[in-house]
Amino acid sequence: MSNEMILMLHPTFGVLAIIASVWVFAETLNVSGANVGRIRNAGMLAAILMWLAYIVGGYWYVNFYAADKALINAGPWPFSHGFFMETKEHVFLMLLLLTTFLAIAVRGEIAMAKPARNLVLWVSGLVVVMGLAMEGAGAFVSMGVKVALLAKQI
Amino acid sequence: MATSQTTGNVTETAGTTATAFGISYAITSIFSALLVVLKEISPAVHDGLAAITGHHWVTHGLLNIIVFVVLGMMLSRSGRPQMSASSLVNTIVGSTIVSGLIIAGFFLIMG
Repeated sequence: MSNEMILMLHPTFGVLAIIASVWVFAETLNVSGANVGRIRNAGMLAAILMWLAYIVGGYWYVNFYAADKALINAGPWPFSHGFFMETKEHVFLMLLLLTTFLAIAVRGEIAMAKPARNLVLWVSGLVVVMGLAMEGAGAFVSMGVKVALLAKQI
Repeated sequence: MATSQTTGNVTETAGTTATAFGISYAITSIFSALLVVLKEISPAVHDGLAAITGHHWVTHGLLNIIVFVVLGMMLSRSGRPQMSASSLVNTIVGSTIVSGLIIAGFFLIMG
């Protein structure tokens, strides 16, 4: 598999984790004995997908990002590394733990107890917001590479 | 298995396990944000983290996971994490915002 395909798996797993978290949120709004099992599976799925995004993205970052970083820093958008990538790579560590916590929170008595239900709603909502922020930051990093390559051609 | 408890008509928890790991997440996120600042301003800390696994970010992630799991299990087994679900939500959301602002603010200034 080419390095670029490995890189594309990172946002793909991330988006799927966001969708799974939206699934948790939507089903928890209408939780009952009938769908609690589905919510727990979706919560676990969100965590597994976020871990896959972490492992694949981390592998690429550690082994191949240095070349892109050098390009970005020499290009017209150095802030896409200095701010967006640096912030993304560290905030993502929190998002990974938060999504792991979501898989724990959905194991509570969410069908019967409002406090446990509210916790799941807040955590799944936070995962969605942070996940979208990560996707946006990733877009800035990609654009940083693109404008650096374009600048080299001119 | 986590259970929800109602004491009187005010304190309602989200369950022992969820409360324990929620507190653990909040502490770990703040720890992680402070470690970001520390390793960025101290070459010794940065190089020390890099020496453990070969890359500072990998070591940072592993430390976060260890702190989160160990602290969560300790709090869960102690059976003591008494916090209402609303306070737990505030703690989780608050720590996420503060940690995010520490990290983003630092790189906004230094990046």
